[in-house]
Amino acid sequence: MTAIALRPASVALPGRSTRRVTTPDRPDDEKALVLSAQRGELEAFSELVRRHQRRAYAVARAIVTTHEDAEDAVQDAFLHAYRALHRFLPDQAFGAWLHRIVANASLDITRRRKVRDADELPETIASPFRDPAESDELRLRLHDALARIPARQRSVIVLHDVEGFKHSEIGRLLGIPEGTARSDLHYARSALRRLLDQLRSPQ
Amino acid sequence: MTINFSAPHLVPENGDEELTRALRDLYAAPDGDGYWSALERRIMDRIAGGDALDDWWTVPAQWARVALIAAGFALIVAGSLYLRSRAEQRQMVYDSLLGPAAGGPTLAIRDAQSERQATLNYINGR
Repeated sequence: MTAIALRPASVALPGRSTRRVTTPDRPDDEKALVLSAQRGELEAFSELVRRHQRRAYAVARAIVTTHEDAEDAVQDAFLHAYRALHRFLPDQAFGAWLHRIVANASLDITRRRKVRDADELPETIASPFRDPAESDELRLRLHDALARIPARQRSVIVLHDVEGFKHSEIGRLLGIPEGTARSDLHYARSALRRLLDQLRSPQ
Repeated sequence: MTINFSAPHLVPENGDEELTRALRDLYAAPDGDGYWSALERRIMDRIAGGDALDDWWTVPAQWARVALIAAGFALIVAGSLYLRSRAEQRQMVYDSLLGPAAGGPTLAIRDAQSERQATLNYINGR
């Protein structure tokens, strides 16, 4: 059995918060973890969860509308990943593979939510995970503005501007062409700026 | 109406930087190692427990047994009806081929003795 040295999961990237991005900096180490997990070692998979759950949450959070749904999507995605692990080729990037699964789980939740909420109130953006007392006017306005742009544009702008994904990566995650991701980002930025300007302007 | 923003540095006024900052602030992931440890534990508990995914392809699985029993029952009923109808059809064909001709004399043959007697009766009757 391969001995694997487990180390702290958080790795700081330049200019990014450690709470947002967690990436293993030694691919070989991760490959060993994947191989161990494929042999059924739960501790190895647990380490993969530890390393990737924050980034997985960020991907999910960009697609679904609530913190709770993002949590569900992350859990479902890791379960899918565990069950499909035997099909994963260890030479590939585990993170990229996982993010596809997270995106699919998130889109699945979004679809189910859409069906479930069809007869309820119009779509609103639920507050992300934070103390309501922290909310200020801008956050509320941004909420409103985000609720008014199409869901895919919202996902694209969050994945790009908040999480730093490239257009091609966003395209793969959301199942859209890279050019569409690029134009969605442009429209989302323009729409948000316009909506926020309207909200700031005297009525 | 004029909105007075309490955090001017977050206002997306002249570029994407402010908007990006505001978005990052809005979409910030939960902070604190405790939260992530708990989430990891929940995930691993579900994996260890072989938890079923609440997906479209697993929801019907909950009904699979009932559906299978119902389908089996329906198959048996349909099969027996089919066999019965075929048997009836076959009987009708036999009846039409071997049965008495309409309007003709009825000849019931029980054994050799009866056959002879019947033949005699038929000849005498003519």
